[in-house]
Amino acid sequence: MRRMIDLHAWLGMASGLALFVAFFAGAINVFHHELHHWQEPHFAEQTATPMGMDRLLERVTEQYPDARKRLYLLPDDDDPGVMWFESADSDWVTAHATDFNAEGVHEATPRSALADFINELHFALGIPNPGWPINIGMTFMGLISVMYGVALFSGLLIHWPKIRKEFFALKHEGNMRRYWKNLHNVIGIISFPFHLIMSVTGAAMGMFTVVAVLLGALVFGPQLRGVITEQTEVWSAVESQGNTVIMPHMGDVLSAARNELPELTVDWLEIRGYGDAAGWIDVAGSVPGYVGHHAHVVLDPTLGPLRVIAPGQRSLNFASLSPVYSLHFGDYGGLLVKLLYFLLGLLGSLLFVSGNILWCERRSDRTGPGRSSAFLLRLTLGVCAGVVVGLAFSFLVSKLLPHTPLSGLVALAERGVFAVILVLLVAWSLRASPLRFSSQMLRVAPFCYLSIPLLQTVLEGSHAWLEADNRLINLVLLAVAACLWVVRRQFRKRIRQAEPHPLWVGKVSEGDPRHLTDT
Amino acid sequence: MRYFLGVLLSLPLSLMLIGLLAAALPMPWQGWLVLQLIAAIVLWMLLALLVALPAKTWPPLIALVVGNLAAWLVLQATPLYGVGA
Repeated sequence: MRRMIDLHAWLGMASGLALFVAFFAGAINVFHHELHHWQEPHFAEQTATPMGMDRLLERVTEQYPDARKRLYLLPDDDDPGVMWFESADSDWVTAHATDFNAEGVHEATPRSALADFINELHFALGIPNPGWPINIGMTFMGLISVMYGVALFSGLLIHWPKIRKEFFALKHEGNMRRYWKNLHNVIGIISFPFHLIMSVTGAAMGMFTVVAVLLGALVFGPQLRGVITEQTEVWSAVESQGNTVIMPHMGDVLSAARNELPELTVDWLEIRGYGDAAGWIDVAGSVPGYVGHHAHVVLDPTLGPLRVIAPGQRSLNFASLSPVYSLHFGDYGGLLVKLLYFLLGLLGSLLFVSGNILWCERRSDRTGPGRSSAFLLRLTLGVCAGVVVGLAFSFLVSKLLPHTPLSGLVALAERGVFAVILVLLVAWSLRASPLRFSSQMLRVAPFCYLSIPLLQTVLEGSHAWLEADNRLINLVLLAVAACLWVVRRQFRKRIRQAEPHPLWVGKVSEGDPRHLTDT
Repeated sequence: MRYFLGVLLSLPLSLMLIGLLAAALPMPWQGWLVLQLIAAIVLWMLLALLVALPAKTWPPLIALVVGNLAAWLVLQATPLYGVGA
């Protein structure tokens, strides 16, 4: 049992901070689609009618030949978008219908990239991918997910004998440390299935490249790559014969897809070989009512059906791959499941903070007050406060900057302000008393999140609440503010009722941290 | 160090054990590749947990190295490696 506790603590401490970032960003990222709408600035004088999907595709493929090879069309009544890989930039480019001027020429319009930044923070800690064959941030998070899974299994073994007793044991009895321990145990037990899903699916997605390379090297040989492509791609790559074709109207494509799969809800279209007779169109979306809800209807350019992949009509590989994504992203059960994932994500963040605090206090108790425990406690508090407050400022910058002459810098500023606040708060946490630092951060953080919907209301008026996605995101932000307020209230209550652990007071220097009674 | 090495050495072993399972089952390995990936990840986690159980540090790590070698040798006796799509 002792070794299980050591393993649980070691793994938790090694992965706790990364998991806090992933879970806090992930809780907001549950509403990734809605956030994309929220981040678009609304100006009162918007009158221009953007072009439709067909015209947008024509314009993009005329001006960017790379887009003809492979592009993604994001259908939207107001402002459809197209994504393609631009070989000159070695990066994916997105163009919206509103990015084209009256002459139909694409003008790279600076747009907020807040939703993508939060997504990157979630799956790769915001570590940029410089185009390497392996995404370092994502693989790192995959490894973290594996450690998190081992910590979960060891936590289950530790708590299994006393699980019923601990389930109802959120009592601190005047002991601050016991409060953190009970809080950690209760959250861990309640949300164990959720965390198990997150660790396995997160590890499967994050470690995919490493596992595939090793599986190829050790077990199946170099042909594994081809097998993976064949088993997970919806249709084979385009082998062009040089014959051109007039592309069908996208409205007809959607009708043809619904003809093949009437219950399909379309999310996006992938077009390979635009204008090529050997090309194909994948209409991708969902069939509601299934956990593995992903579906594809693949059509040729004459709208002849090539393949339908849907629940009940797919291979075992597709049937197992779909739930990996949907269970991780929580997009299989409507708003209720999304809200549950959001709540469990925030609780998960609290689980990792409490786990790290427990580890520091326990280590301090076992080995005596030391600089390393004090340092790790301060680092934990600094990173957590930095991420929470930094993200709130990214939201504020995202809304404010498009209404100023600095609107061109919005995407850069969202990331920059987050990084600056994170670094400053970590630096401050290493200098200040942890108790004082936590009190101040918990006082400020709820107001940061409260101010975001207020700012949008001031800048954009009733649009902030009348439009459904805006309203949802603003309510989510208010919920984050309310949760932080509850944490603050509980934290203050504990301070009043119980003497904090010695690590929470004093400075990190010779002879410190000192016990509260000595100070 | 022990936990780190345990996590590191458990990965190839879990993959080779899943490979052996794929060789043993009477169905084409290509047909359940995604399930193999998920099973390998869960097995990796469980093996890393098992390594932490014994009181001494080195025996479980040596067992992992030996297990890796043995699994690799047994895999050579299967027709998996190099069989095309």
